[in-house]
Amino acid sequence: MRFGWMRHSTITAATALALVCVAPGVIEVPVSAQSAYKAPRTADGTPDLQGIWQVRNTSAAFDLEDHAGALGIPPGRSVIVDPPDGKIPYKPEALAKRQANFKNRDAADTLNKCYMPGVPRITYLDFPFQIFQTPKYTLITYEYIHIYRTIFTDGSKHIDGLDFWLGDPRGHWDGDTLVVDVTDFNDQTWFDASGDYHSDKLHVVERYTRTGPDTLRYEATIEDPDVFTRAWKISLPLYRHAEPNFRILEYECQAYADEAAKGGR
Amino acid sequence: MDQQEERISRMSSRLLKSIFAAAALAAMLSAQPPAPPAGGAANGGVPAIFGGTGPHVAGGPVQHLSDGHPDMQGFWAAGNNGGAVFELQNHPKPRSGVPPGKGAIVDPADGFIPYQPWAAAKATDTFEHNLAEEPELHCYESGVPKQIYVQFGFQIFQPANYVVVTWEFMHAYRIIPTDGRAHIPTDIKLFEGDSVGHWEGDTLVVDTTNLNDRTWYDTVGNFHSDSEHVVERFTEVDTNTIKYEATVEDSKVLTAPFKIAFELYKSSDTKYEQMEFACIEGNQDVTHYTKDKGGNADVKVK
Repeated sequence: MRFGWMRHSTITAATALALVCVAPGVIEVPVSAQSAYKAPRTADGTPDLQGIWQVRNTSAAFDLEDHAGALGIPPGRSVIVDPPDGKIPYKPEALAKRQANFKNRDAADTLNKCYMPGVPRITYLDFPFQIFQTPKYTLITYEYIHIYRTIFTDGSKHIDGLDFWLGDPRGHWDGDTLVVDVTDFNDQTWFDASGDYHSDKLHVVERYTRTGPDTLRYEATIEDPDVFTRAWKISLPLYRHAEPNFRILEYECQAYADEAAKGGR
Repeated sequence: MDQQEERISRMSSRLLKSIFAAAALAAMLSAQPPAPPAGGAANGGVPAIFGGTGPHVAGGPVQHLSDGHPDMQGFWAAGNNGGAVFELQNHPKPRSGVPPGKGAIVDPADGFIPYQPWAAAKATDTFEHNLAEEPELHCYESGVPKQIYVQFGFQIFQPANYVVVTWEFMHAYRIIPTDGRAHIPTDIKLFEGDSVGHWEGDTLVVDTTNLNDRTWYDTVGNFHSDSEHVVERFTEVDTNTIKYEATVEDSKVLTAPFKIAFELYKSSDTKYEQMEFACIEGNQDVTHYTKDKGGNADVKVK
């Protein structure tokens, strides 16, 4: 099945490329071969992103950049696709703060206090989440500390003057891609467990694109003029949970911490 | 104030409430009547909890989605339920600042939880000595059926094959599949349980099992075990009103099932949005409870 669509995508891309060679400027080349996949539609005709999804790349939550292992941090390759060197484009003084964060990570990472992890970090924590769609909303329910995000796709505007742990998400459809513009963040969350951080000027643009029957590409472009010299972008595949008995359950961080403090489980 | 400022002001006020949510509950224990029960004629039937004033106003005929089921999507809040959020059962006398009220129990007719003797004793002991154990003070989800009558209301979504409900309070949610699937095995216990739903005409029937024993029915120690089983019925009466009923069984704690009933009112404010509810991220509440109630505070608050 998967081989089937991969081969199909390859042929489509190759055909498109051939056409471009013949008539340059007439045919738009897909960004990648995977873009050729046509997502099924919901009842109202929008691309269907619904299902239970999860990352397989479990090292990104520990460090988005290329990194060797460290105490509590499994090694992994960078998920940063822009800039091409795979590094977060910190301002010099911000890089110093990042290194201090890393040294102090156990105490300074608010995730360790069971606080909400921010965006995009919530997406690549190693927990599943479920996407639901109605004509006005895309709703994402995360197993991790029962977080949900209500993404408005009704043309409504951002709220001014408030900030949130998870920001204020407003979405629209760009072809088959759900584009979510997220603003109004606080400065209390990190991007990973290695101290990669942002200010309250963070602006994230997420893109959710189906790439196959059981895969979805998640991209996030990250801007923050107080911390970075330029915008940067991560890209991660998400995989559908196909187990027939799979459900979103509960991971209740605070309740478990309280239980442990009392000498329980 | 222009409309935008007014919205922000309202939202900021709710945000503050959320940061100090359980502190607010503690404060209310000593002072205020139950969270606003009525709707608002002046605002076209916006319940007070959504910023309206005045009595609830009935809506038009029930609308149906393309799948044939009633369209219950929107923002809802519990109507007059006798102060159930403070005490679910009949509480004719004020105690520890909880104002008197009838509660929400319609069966048995006296409005009291039909506890087994040991369970009645435990509830009394909790009220007298361990109110600081109140689960929401610790930012836990509210459980079922309490989730329906917590403050700040909830939003119903009806994507294909599901009813999903999200709450501002504790940013809780419940996923209710309506595709005929079975419950998960009993080994897995959850704060919100495992819910499966089906439609009986225009009534959504939700069966919930797999509940843990870490939530209460209210703020004064009325409790259940991990054998709790709840059957809820949501019947849309008009576009502004849902008749809500829940039958609760718990063989470890109760001598018989009990039933609660009240109405849910819809917000007709088309600009209404739920805000982010940060609880753990700013919780100071347990420190506000005195040592004689199981908390940390040295000074007894009058």
